[in-house]
Amino acid sequence: MFNFKKPRHKLHIADENDLRLSDLKPGEKGRIVEIGGSENFRHRLIEMGITRDAEICVDKYAPLRDPMELIVKGYHLSLRGMDAQKICVERIA
Amino acid sequence: MNFNIAIAGNPNCGKTTIFNALTGARQRVGNWPGVTVEKKSGQYNYSDIRFDVIDLPGTYSLAAFSAEETVVRHYLEQDEAQVVVNIIDASNLERNLFLTTQLIELGKPLVIVLNMMDMAHEKGLQIDADTLATLLGAPVVPVVGRTGEGMDLLKEKILRVSTEISMKSRFIDISYPRDIEIEIEKLTHLIKRDDESHKQSRWTSIKLLESDKQTRDEVRIHPDGADILKQAKNSIERIELIFKDTGRAIISHARYGFIQGALRECVVESLVDSVDYSRKIDRLITNRWLGLPIFGLFMWLMFKLTYDLGSIPMDWIDAGLISLMNFISALMPESMFASLLVDGVIGGVGAIAVFLPNIFILFFIIAVLEDSGYMARVAFIMDRVMHNIGLHGKAFIPMIMGFGCNVPAIMGTRILESRRDRILTVLINPFMSCSARLPVYVLVAGAFFPDNAATVIFSMYVLGIVAAIASGKLFSRTILKGMSKPFVLELPPYQRPTLRSLILHTWERGYLFIQKMGTVILVGSVIIWVLGYFPRDVQVERDYQKERMELVEDYDYQMINLGTKFNKSVQKDRQEYHSEMIAYESSSSYQELHHQFQQLQDDLQNKEALELYRLRQQEIGDITEQKWIGRVGKIFEPIVRPLGFTWRESVALITGFVAKEIVVSTYGVLFGVGEDIDEGSQGVISGLRSSGMTPLVALSFLVFTLLYTPCLATVAAIKRETGTWAYTIFSIAYSLGLAYLLAFGVTYFGGMFNWLS
Ligand SMILES: Nc1nc2c(ncn2[C@@H]2O[C@H](COP(=O)(O)OP(=O)(O)O)[C@@H](O)[C@H]2O)c(=O)[nH]1
Repeated sequence: MFNFKKPRHKLHIADENDLRLSDLKPGEKGRIVEIGGSENFRHRLIEMGITRDAEICVDKYAPLRDPMELIVKGYHLSLRGMDAQKICVERIA
Repeated sequence: MNFNIAIAGNPNCGKTTIFNALTGARQRVGNWPGVTVEKKSGQYNYSDIRFDVIDLPGTYSLAAFSAEETVVRHYLEQDEAQVVVNIIDASNLERNLFLTTQLIELGKPLVIVLNMMDMAHEKGLQIDADTLATLLGAPVVPVVGRTGEGMDLLKEKILRVSTEISMKSRFIDISYPRDIEIEIEKLTHLIKRDDESHKQSRWTSIKLLESDKQTRDEVRIHPDGADILKQAKNSIERIELIFKDTGRAIISHARYGFIQGALRECVVESLVDSVDYSRKIDRLITNRWLGLPIFGLFMWLMFKLTYDLGSIPMDWIDAGLISLMNFISALMPESMFASLLVDGVIGGVGAIAVFLPNIFILFFIIAVLEDSGYMARVAFIMDRVMHNIGLHGKAFIPMIMGFGCNVPAIMGTRILESRRDRILTVLINPFMSCSARLPVYVLVAGAFFPDNAATVIFSMYVLGIVAAIASGKLFSRTILKGMSKPFVLELPPYQRPTLRSLILHTWERGYLFIQKMGTVILVGSVIIWVLGYFPRDVQVERDYQKERMELVEDYDYQMINLGTKFNKSVQKDRQEYHSEMIAYESSSSYQELHHQFQQLQDDLQNKEALELYRLRQQEIGDITEQKWIGRVGKIFEPIVRPLGFTWRESVALITGFVAKEIVVSTYGVLFGVGEDIDEGSQGVISGLRSSGMTPLVALSFLVFTLLYTPCLATVAAIKRETGTWAYTIFSIAYSLGLAYLLAFGVTYFGGMFNWLS
């Protein structure tokens, strides 16, 4: 699916057209495909349970629209839109 | 005999609750050396053995990302703790067990506590603790921290594990994919030559594959360090080639894989029809439309309660201090010691002590917000705003609190997880105009801008906010650049706070305030007192004694004149009086004359008293000019002259370092009107007006007062929270510089266009 030459330094996100976590609307569910961004950011998210294939649900957006509230592994978590944009997901019904 | 045990766990897993349940009130709060991460320690006895407990900061991992994680890693890798008690939120098992997998690998004897069993039941989770214990290779104790259920069993298990430390056979290994195990094997083989146990060398190998910097640094000093690091590099490259991802990501995923496998075997999720109350509450509280108004309402309530409720005991403390001062003054003959005690110590420390009720109430409310889980929602709601200045949403709370008092506000920055965010928030917090600055605004704006006082005062607040935002942006792009962490915030379920925990939290923070601020304020007040007290005999040019006598003579003369005038009028009136029915003394015309006379007499007496009082205060002002404090003011006069300030402003600003509200009383003294603003503010106003200060300079003075370092207590708080003198001195220098610059701008540009002159 992805073409990795030098995985250490390359973002894992392949395609501009991939669905991002930030594209999901409140109430929609997705499955994590890949996490991009800096190494520290990726690892932080993985440690918090945003692992590959994990199910994630967008609960709602903050009143000022920015951070979003997510449900993953049975708990609630908040991420900024700009960070959620680095996460590739596939929509599940 | 005693054992050291350490409590570890995720944030919000109930660590503090369990720690309190174990140790009761016997606990101490300090800081970990070098970092401002709270270190809590306590102890308890169980079957005649003493257990010393350390409550480690809450972390999601042992990656040494944050200050907290580094502290935990460092502490656990040392040999100090014999047993680790890992608290787990049973209603949120999967993520909580991530840390557990690392603790298992770390190899310390472990007791796992399944906390919040009540919540897990509500969620319909059936957890088989015995199976979990077998899978994790450590005893598992289900408890409900809030009610204390299961605590005895926990103590028993801790005792058992502590006394059977030699039995290491039960330790299990988390198994990784084969290709990773092969690399781990290669590395452990190399490391083992250093005589390390299996557990330790495996831990080191795994950490090396995760590219952990701390471990690499440690390995480097080993005899075979170079070889080991070379192998690690090769292994990482191989892993990346095979898995198309970093070693660390693969290992983290494998840990979650292990956890999922374990949970499949020991957790049954029954489909109960449970209502997620927390989510329901959140639907309202962080609602798109209502979220902000509700937040505003809470903030307003917080202020209202803090200041209105706090003002009641404030008055008592004030009254108490005054009677204490009077009592001591009456008891002791006038002496240097008496003055030091009354004016220096009680006066200075008392000025801060009156804020204690406010501070305690504020801390209590914050404890409620934190324990209930609302604080995380504040971060959620306000993050958009704070993100603009490069800060985390939670930083909003200390900023708002700054309007009340910067000291608790700066101490409140502890709610922020990242050190960089804490420092940034601490540095910009003093620009939030605290309540102690208000009396200065009221006085000066009232004197020079009587028609627009409210506007001037309001613009001070706005200017403070602008300065904070601008400085925040500046700092986050310069000195505190790039250290920012991604915003990954857990929103824990809402909880009803327990009174016990609220009181504990409030007391912990309040006590720190009393302790630290008390000492600094004491020293500061004594210094100001010394400056104002010495040298003892000063010469003033004006002969006040003579002036006083002349004044009294003059008034005596006027009084006699008045009496004579009255007598004459009465005589004249009596001649014109004809009625036989009523005696002249009872007639209305006499009554009126007499009344007039009495009024004039009263007026005269009042005027005399006031003038005498002013003369006395002018004398104090003149004497002060000769005291060290006045001389210090004079030394600084050339520096502040470009701003249009005289030595008086200089002295006022210097004493304002101790506490901003002192500026007003200093002015009172300097302008010879008295220290009591209620009584003399009219006098200060006329004094200020007649001193040659223009409205423009007054505005400039207000700007300076707003921006420069609020007070000694704030300095102490900054030192405490940033942990270094470097940031403390930077903060003082920066705010003084900014104050000077802007005040100069006001005076200079205003002068250029002849504004407000
Ligand atoms: N329902 C329930 N709540 C608990 C339990 N233990 C702790 N809490 C609550 O969970 C919240 C977080 O607890 P705290 O001890 O402050 O967590 P820490 O952040 O890990 O120190 C508090 O509101 C506690 O009252 C428990 O066993 N059951």
